[in-house]
Amino acid sequence: MDKLTRRLRDDASQIRADVSPELDARIRASLEAVEPVNAESPKPAPRTPSMWWWSSLVGATSAIAVIVLLNLGTQPELPVPTENGVPTLAPSLNIERAVLTAPLEAELENLESDLRKAEEALRADIGLDRRAEDTPDGS
Amino acid sequence: MSEELTLIDSAKAGSVGAFTELVGRYRGGLLRFLITRCASVADAEDALQDTMINAYRYLASYDPRWRFSTWLYRIAIRNAAKQRRDGFAGIDDVADQGPDPLAMCIDASERENLWVTAKRVLNDDVYTAMWLRYVEDMSINDVAAVLERSGSWTKVNLMRARKALDAELNAPGTQSEAYG
Repeated sequence: MDKLTRRLRDDASQIRADVSPELDARIRASLEAVEPVNAESPKPAPRTPSMWWWSSLVGATSAIAVIVLLNLGTQPELPVPTENGVPTLAPSLNIERAVLTAPLEAELENLESDLRKAEEALRADIGLDRRAEDTPDGS
Repeated sequence: MSEELTLIDSAKAGSVGAFTELVGRYRGGLLRFLITRCASVADAEDALQDTMINAYRYLASYDPRWRFSTWLYRIAIRNAAKQRRDGFAGIDDVADQGPDPLAMCIDASERENLWVTAKRVLNDDVYTAMWLRYVEDMSINDVAAVLERSGSWTKVNLMRARKALDAELNAPGTQSEAYG
């Protein structure tokens, strides 16, 4: 132990600090009046690995959706051929409409086509049934 | 250590007797430390009482990986700071604070007590680090934990504090023959 350390200890021991019986009684009385707080608070349930997968998936999907939406709003204006063959810049509103509605129109056409086919199939079925009812022997 | 853990378990279950026995060995040292940190002896006694109450109340949050004294001193430092804040809030004039309790608790001597010197030349945290390291014999890690500082901060500042005290003691006009 070096000189400074020894002197620090010696000088600390010269500081009078006696816990008087009054202070002792006061502390004890205070402790009797206090209830220990139970730290056994319910812990949150541990997260399962599938939850991490789901949260990652949701996060990635949200990020992709944001990127797509941002890119849709900033698409460059496409040159549109005019009657004299010189391409001109069309207003962004028309471009957006063309980009957004084209797939919907295709879908609509497909749906209408499906509907027509279903209707024809139904009619054919009904026609066969009627023909079957018309012939008494069922042939 | 195992005896201490047994007392902690009993105190956690609500035994005031076990708690009193547990803190009995630290009480005197804590009061001495608080006297050096508070504005008056009465404040130091209040801070000691608050420390005991808080320690008993929140004993369930004590982490046995740390020494019990480390946890106790951490509470004591917070209570000393609170006492000083409350004390200063009610005092308009600094001169009204009264004599330094540390000076009052030291017998008249030919030379200045080194802790009075330390209080004069060191800031609060460094002073506390010196006390915990050299009086309470805590490890650097424990001192850092009490002060909520890094180990390197503690090490560097302890070294600087020693140099500062050395310089103060060896300065011309001081009673250097009393040192050592």
